[in-house]
Amino acid sequence: MNDSRERARRDALCAATVRALTGDDALHYRGGKLYRHLRPVPLHAPHLRGEHREEDDADSTRGAADASALRIAHSDAALHRELAPGEPVARMVFDMLEQLRCETRVPSGMEGVKRNVRHRFDAWSLACYESGLLDSEIGLLIYTAAQMAQSRLSGRAVLEETEGLIEATRAALAPSLGNALAGMRRHRHDQRAYAVHALEIARTIGEMVQEVRHTFVESDSSDDEEEDAARTMLGTWFDTDDEHGELERLALAASGDSSAREATGEAYRIFTTRYDKTVRPSTLIRAALLREYRERLDALIAARHINVPRLARMLQASITVPRRDGWSFGEEDGRIDGRRLAQVVASPDERRVFRRERERPHADCAVGFLIDCSGSMKASIEPVTVMIDVLVRALGMAGVTTEVLGFTTGAWNGGRAKLDWLAKGRPKYPGRLNEACNMIFKEGDAGWRAGRRDIAALFKADLFREGIDGEAVDWACSRLIARDEARRILVVISDGSPMDSATAQANDPNYLDQHLREVVEKHEASRAVEVLGLGVGLDLSTYYRHHFAVDLSVAPDMTLFAKLAAWLGARRRRTT
Amino acid sequence: MMRDTWMDEPDRKVSVRSLFGIDTDLDVPAFSTRDPHVPEIDEAYRFNPEVTLAILAGFAFNRRVMVQGLHGTGKSTHIEQVAARLNWPCMRVNLDGHVSRLDLVGKDAIVVRDDVQITEFQEGIVPWALQRPVALVFDEYDAGRPDVMFVIQRILERDGSFTLLDQNRVIQPHRFFRLFATTNTIGLGNLNGMYHGTQMLNHAQIDRWNVVATLNYLSREEEARIVLARVPQLDDDAGRALVDSMVSMAGLTRRGFAAGDLSTLMSPRTVISWAENREVFRDTKLALRLTFLNKCDEAERPIVAEYFQRAFGEELDTPSQWHDESAR
Repeated sequence: MNDSRERARRDALCAATVRALTGDDALHYRGGKLYRHLRPVPLHAPHLRGEHREEDDADSTRGAADASALRIAHSDAALHRELAPGEPVARMVFDMLEQLRCETRVPSGMEGVKRNVRHRFDAWSLACYESGLLDSEIGLLIYTAAQMAQSRLSGRAVLEETEGLIEATRAALAPSLGNALAGMRRHRHDQRAYAVHALEIARTIGEMVQEVRHTFVESDSSDDEEEDAARTMLGTWFDTDDEHGELERLALAASGDSSAREATGEAYRIFTTRYDKTVRPSTLIRAALLREYRERLDALIAARHINVPRLARMLQASITVPRRDGWSFGEEDGRIDGRRLAQVVASPDERRVFRRERERPHADCAVGFLIDCSGSMKASIEPVTVMIDVLVRALGMAGVTTEVLGFTTGAWNGGRAKLDWLAKGRPKYPGRLNEACNMIFKEGDAGWRAGRRDIAALFKADLFREGIDGEAVDWACSRLIARDEARRILVVISDGSPMDSATAQANDPNYLDQHLREVVEKHEASRAVEVLGLGVGLDLSTYYRHHFAVDLSVAPDMTLFAKLAAWLGARRRRTT
Repeated sequence: MMRDTWMDEPDRKVSVRSLFGIDTDLDVPAFSTRDPHVPEIDEAYRFNPEVTLAILAGFAFNRRVMVQGLHGTGKSTHIEQVAARLNWPCMRVNLDGHVSRLDLVGKDAIVVRDDVQITEFQEGIVPWALQRPVALVFDEYDAGRPDVMFVIQRILERDGSFTLLDQNRVIQPHRFFRLFATTNTIGLGNLNGMYHGTQMLNHAQIDRWNVVATLNYLSREEEARIVLARVPQLDDDAGRALVDSMVSMAGLTRRGFAAGDLSTLMSPRTVISWAENREVFRDTKLALRLTFLNKCDEAERPIVAEYFQRAFGEELDTPSQWHDESAR
């Protein structure tokens, strides 16, 4: 837990640096990979790949991030794709050479970047050496080419540890690559001119690898290991680009995109909205039971000893901005208050006759909580409700409008929507196949006092079924956008991926996942609503760029609330 | 009352190319003698060609020039230094939310004359400057309240006269009166949360400014030269490398600010203070901490430390204010 938190912290810091180095604010890390908006940024060079990253080496992580930033800043991706050769090995070498070119272009006055990038390359070289990748002929060939190019471009000697190992290969390659290497160094500031030489090297290496492979086939290889090593090298070294069909599918599956969407080429579909509904759970519960729920909730909160006014002040500090708000009278200095002039005459000792303009914190902000009411949340609904109730109350005291919403489905296994689908003869890829059910626990216009009993309706866990996150997030965002507040925050509280068994069976398991990511991405890009993911015992970084994981197996305490308050207010500048 | 030693009008023309090193054939009017109101010349000051031309147009052709830019880019200094080189008297007025109409226009004050107390009208800064060959600079123009700023609506027109309502007197502006303003925002208020206390300006008034120049942050080389000019002790190889890294670091904070990762940024002024403080404390990290880091939100300090590592290749400790992280 601590480890993953440390890693997340490091990723966040690296992401901030990458953004500052490139000036592109859409870049961020998700699960250790660099993303721009929704898509992973293809990083072609082997030494930037996450798999090779030793987790305890902070400088390597930094080096990989810096090298990625240099690549993004100095390489034209479209031109690179246009020039790249089709043959996989040649393409890989070409990609790597382009990355090495970018790494020579560290802006002046960036000693640390230079050092980190160099450290990363050396660490990768050592890792290759230690993991035995160099024992295969193909591995050694590619490795040697990388070392030669790097040494030539940066003008420093090759790694000492492997110098002896690559000596023979290096001598063999030198005559055929010498010219091209010199040309690369000369043209390292011009991507197109550089590519001519890089292509030459890439083709040469590609052909040599082919030759080695043929030898295996002819000798009817007893040497499976060799082939395996080559494949490992290619497999783990290779990152894919958007255009290359065969490789792309692998990448998509790994990142959890929907194969049904890909097959139909259509946007997200809903089979029928006929049975969708929006309900107020409090109206579905007997008044006496609801009262009992509320009493239980109050008892739980009382047992926690949470200092709500203090939490309100924290939230106020992190969310509000000062605004001129009327006058404050009876001051010792400022402007003379005309109404008190008589007092000056009557009692000259009384000096508090001035008035001043008053600046007061003002929260022009609405926070919506969207709770995943899927079956699995039943287990943690008590602490979640406590958390929601306390936050709603504290936010209300800080002058922030709050909404408490939830989502589930009207039935298990597709309900009437699925029956309709069956009656229509099971058309292929029907899209979302269930009765979506949105729930309103507390509306924005109601204060905590008015809505407190309705919030307790969260305890009615037998309403909880399955979850269609994407549509619910869209719905909650549109509710927030309709409000007047300048800043709108949506906190999605969930313990897992979207889950609807009928939709997953009729389409594919990632159908709802992809839609959720798209919806979150859409709202992040439009910036009308800040969408935050609060994971209940789970890291939601796959779906939400801004995420936070809480462990609710222990009861929420003041420390947790303080962190939540800081997290909620953290992005105040993103509104520009 | 200060003795008026004004030359009535500029008596010579100077070439912009020789005075400011800008490639143009423009000649601008200038005064031959210095007056107490002429700002001191700062030899180290470096002019931004575009903004300098805009300001010179203001002086030569009587245009109303507004200079907009983030803090610490040297907007006001820029106008002052141009005036200093033209020997043009210059008055800076700092606006804030409490500058009232009375301050600008004038008010009745009690004075003693011939041993008798009388009330006499005392001119405010606007009518005073209007009758003299003075460049009046409204600093932090966007901090002034928009309703008050309407006082200057008429003098924003080139030959607009100024009516003193209290005295039934109409003032014709002096032929060589000039008006400038500097502002952080472009009158849309505090959009990015950085400039509290700025006002939304009235766009009918913004419209009356003939020239709006934007002073952005300078190129790295330019900025490094400015820092070196300010702190000449650093002008050796090691010092230049240091300044280069400082400027890089400032660049990172600016882009970090634009991306929303930081809520503060290092202005050129910060970089200069940092270099100066480094001379005082003889310690780059300590100087950075005292100059910039302590202004940052605590949550953002690790990011600043990360930038520092990129620029200098060294770690910057960011001890927490509340508890000692290393003790855990």
